[in-house]
Amino acid sequence: MKRMPIFLSVVLVIVLAACGAPSTPAPTTPAGVTPPPAGVTTITVWDYYGTATPFQPEMIAAFEQENPNIKVKYESLDWDAMFEKLSVSMTTGTPPDVATVDMTWVPTWASLGAFADLGPLSGGQVNGVPLNEAFSEGAVEAMTFEGQTVVMLEDFDVYCLYYRADVFEEKGLEVPTTWQQLVEVGQQLVEDTDGNGVPDRYLYGIFPDAFRWAQFLYENDATMLNEDNTQAVFNSPEGVEATQFIVDIVNEYHIAFDIGEEEAITPIKDGRMAMFSDGPYMMGVIKDGAPEMEGMWKVAPHPYSKQPSSYLGGTGLAIPVRAANKEAAWKFVEFAMRVDNAIGVYTGSGAAPGLKAALESPEVSAADPYFGGQVTMPLFLQATETAHHFPYVRQWNEMYDIIDDMMGSALLEQKTVQQALDDAVTEINALLEE
Amino acid sequence: MTLTWTDIGRSHEHCRGKRMETSIARRIGVFVRKYYWAYLFILGPVISTTVFLFIPMVSSFAFSLTEWSGLQPPQFVGLANYKKLLFDDPKFVKSFVNTTIFVILGQGSGPIFGLISALALNQKVRFRAGFRTAYFLPVMTSLVVVATVWKMLYNENGLINGLLRTVDLPTTRWLNNPATALVSVIVTSVWQGFGFETVIFLAALQAIPQELYEAAMIDGANAWNRFWHVTLPSLRPVIVMIYIIGIIGTYQVFDQIYVMTDGGPVNASRTIVFHLWDNFHYMKFGYASAVAYVLFAVLALFSYLQMKFLGRED
Amino acid sequence: MATSRIGVRKLVGRTGIYVALIVSSIVMLVPFYWMVSTSLKVEADVFAYPPEWIPQPATLLHYAEVWTSLPFARFLFNSLFVAAMVTASNVFFSTIAGYAFAKLRFPGRDKLFFVLLLTLMVPFQVNLIPLYKMMDLFRWVDTYWALIVPSATSVFGLYLMRQYILSIPDELLDSARMDGCSEFGIFWRIVAPLALPGVATLAIFSFMGSWTSFLWPMIVTNSMNMRTLPVGIALLQEYHTTNWTQIMAGSTIAALPMIIVFLFMQRQFIEGLTAGAVKQ
Repeated sequence: MKRMPIFLSVVLVIVLAACGAPSTPAPTTPAGVTPPPAGVTTITVWDYYGTATPFQPEMIAAFEQENPNIKVKYESLDWDAMFEKLSVSMTTGTPPDVATVDMTWVPTWASLGAFADLGPLSGGQVNGVPLNEAFSEGAVEAMTFEGQTVVMLEDFDVYCLYYRADVFEEKGLEVPTTWQQLVEVGQQLVEDTDGNGVPDRYLYGIFPDAFRWAQFLYENDATMLNEDNTQAVFNSPEGVEATQFIVDIVNEYHIAFDIGEEEAITPIKDGRMAMFSDGPYMMGVIKDGAPEMEGMWKVAPHPYSKQPSSYLGGTGLAIPVRAANKEAAWKFVEFAMRVDNAIGVYTGSGAAPGLKAALESPEVSAADPYFGGQVTMPLFLQATETAHHFPYVRQWNEMYDIIDDMMGSALLEQKTVQQALDDAVTEINALLEE
Repeated sequence: MTLTWTDIGRSHEHCRGKRMETSIARRIGVFVRKYYWAYLFILGPVISTTVFLFIPMVSSFAFSLTEWSGLQPPQFVGLANYKKLLFDDPKFVKSFVNTTIFVILGQGSGPIFGLISALALNQKVRFRAGFRTAYFLPVMTSLVVVATVWKMLYNENGLINGLLRTVDLPTTRWLNNPATALVSVIVTSVWQGFGFETVIFLAALQAIPQELYEAAMIDGANAWNRFWHVTLPSLRPVIVMIYIIGIIGTYQVFDQIYVMTDGGPVNASRTIVFHLWDNFHYMKFGYASAVAYVLFAVLALFSYLQMKFLGRED
Repeated sequence: MATSRIGVRKLVGRTGIYVALIVSSIVMLVPFYWMVSTSLKVEADVFAYPPEWIPQPATLLHYAEVWTSLPFARFLFNSLFVAAMVTASNVFFSTIAGYAFAKLRFPGRDKLFFVLLLTLMVPFQVNLIPLYKMMDLFRWVDTYWALIVPSATSVFGLYLMRQYILSIPDELLDSARMDGCSEFGIFWRIVAPLALPGVATLAIFSFMGSWTSFLWPMIVTNSMNMRTLPVGIALLQEYHTTNWTQIMAGSTIAALPMIIVFLFMQRQFIEGLTAGAVKQ
């Protein structure tokens, strides 16, 4: 058969290539590295921050130099992968020693006892400063679960209003500070370019997720759960009012639109969106994705009805409870919390450092030319003082999805707001009873 | 040079010299030897499947009978997960309905496009390899890329709405509208996947011996008759396989949903495996496993019935 | 006259086929084109409005970025190595076992086949944790073993080869058997050559399946230098931002070996086998 030699040679080439492959396949230890000399501990660090991470090779080398008996095996992952891999590895008992975790993962995992208590590990202080002085009150609250310190806050996420200052100026509008003003300003801001009666330009972009809904909820002095987290109470009159407001600005006043699954950068660039609520990291995103819009955007506190507020989240550094080398891991976390290193989240990707000292440093609190010379970070810091983190209950991940669905069905007018809220409350109460 | 059956037949002529007397002992020996070879041939896949598929399957089935958060010891709950799933989980019901729609529409169109394109490509057209590669490119392109591009196309201001507007047809936010979200993902999915069927059909078409067509033409059959009486019957084993694998596979659709709509809006495009994955996220591994085994039961039953009523496919 | 009418109809038919093929090919190529053009764009133009189909300005910067910011060459090697091993293994085991299930009679054949098919009906996600635990036990986590061995055979491949081999006439095999040919001889000299189009198809799918596999390699590799391409490309999706241009550049690089394998397999095994044979 004429074709056989070719087929065989292909197979042969492959086999030969395999034999000549590097000897990495030989498993020596689970970590795949040769065992270090005696007395040296190797810690694995998993980080989802990407190439802009504060854990640059220089920073890691500096740590290893200061701690000659600790070696760092650093692995970069993306956000999705981190969740899956942490889940799996914590389950099978081989987690990393240090991992970056999204604060929205904390409720479920902390309540299942996944994290080591950093209190005893740290002795109540980080780099000589007591924890409750190194971090703001809101931050400390977010880092604590049932009396245990479960994470160190690497960066915080809180929402302020981003708005098209140039269009506001052009139309002689003031930045809204109340919900009422938001509607008035919005009505003068929006335009209908395709003549179909529905405004399609310069709208307020609403992300139909729990983060934004929580902001409006808190701003209207309502809460999600009761004091001891046993009952959902957000279908109170204040809660209904807040949710109704979100639905109304989209469907009634037509000053807002539902962004859905789109990338925010798209309506930013094509002019559909002139206002939206987002966190500090968004500054970096806009700068990268829309450099042509320099000077057009500014940041302001988000308008509220009864009190300013927002959701509070961010990234935490955690040490899994089943980690092999917790003391050495803490040394690394503490090193990451030194001011010079903590600033890295800002210089690298524009995020807001969790450490107070880093936040108040000159680099971070500088005027930003992109935002028309505004000093934006203090605005976000100020917002943390009135922000609340999500309820720390085991069922949070599922609650989140129920709230998502609730927002969706209310915005799509599949249900009335009262109905959507009541249904969600019933579902969540059943969940909390499990 | 064309390969014909007689050529192949001649290639083993050298074996002839080995023919021996056929005594009874010899017959038994041949009999046993026949089975021995068969079992040897299938050894690899059987062992591999047992170790890397069956054993985990047994393990995860065991977990489906428990409540397990992964971080704390599992608690045996018997069939409670299944009871809740089948009778008290509207999201699961919705997932099941959505997935069934996905299968019907997807498997109703994909293989047909595949067959048509394979027939077209089997003609003596120039640049055949080029066309074939074009059809297969979507299958080879990463899912993230495909989903991103289609998200752009489905966008409010994207190409599709743009085209619709030029001919004054109504537009909608395809992925954001509960009525159209699922179908939109199905369209993308079929678009990406039918090249798969094209390639399978193409290889099968090329294996159909010319003699069959020649005999049909001698009998006066026209193109349609040749297709109906020669092509289709020869393709039967492959068609059946494509449907079985296709239905089984499509019932497990996940990636496209995850990237394009996240199951939304409000579960309009939620599928069974998506429901499973969500429960992983809720750290409810026992419940998630139960979802998998309900799906398994449905698919196993379906396959069994199909094999029973359609008979063997050869 | 009759003949020229048939001639015209044939011409129209031919043209029709070409037009249909060209138009549909363009439709199929759109996302691939968008991927390549985005990889050449400046970051700010990715979501430009109105959408920019031809990058202006165009840059090869992202390819350099992708190659240097991550060990892309290593990812490429890992993917190639794993895919090649998986493909070779799959082709061999599926063809030989497919032959056995298709043409040999042995006790329990059909029942066993059905049982094997059952494994296709369980979503892979549910086996994730038990399988990972197994890898941990074997000390295979973060090694090539974990990437290759669990995928060394596939029931789908088995099914595919069985269906192709079913269409080989039994008489051919029986006569070889009566001539005293060994079982393996029959497989090697008669079945394998005839099954080559199927083998090529299986090779394409095996390669593709391994090449694009994401979930399992993501879970089972930790070190940067063990990762495969899809896992590596996902890294370009940073925490707060998505490097679209780099992702597209990475995806383009990732698509090329696939295309080469596809063309090679198609041309060598399917084209070549029937060159000049199609006389419809």
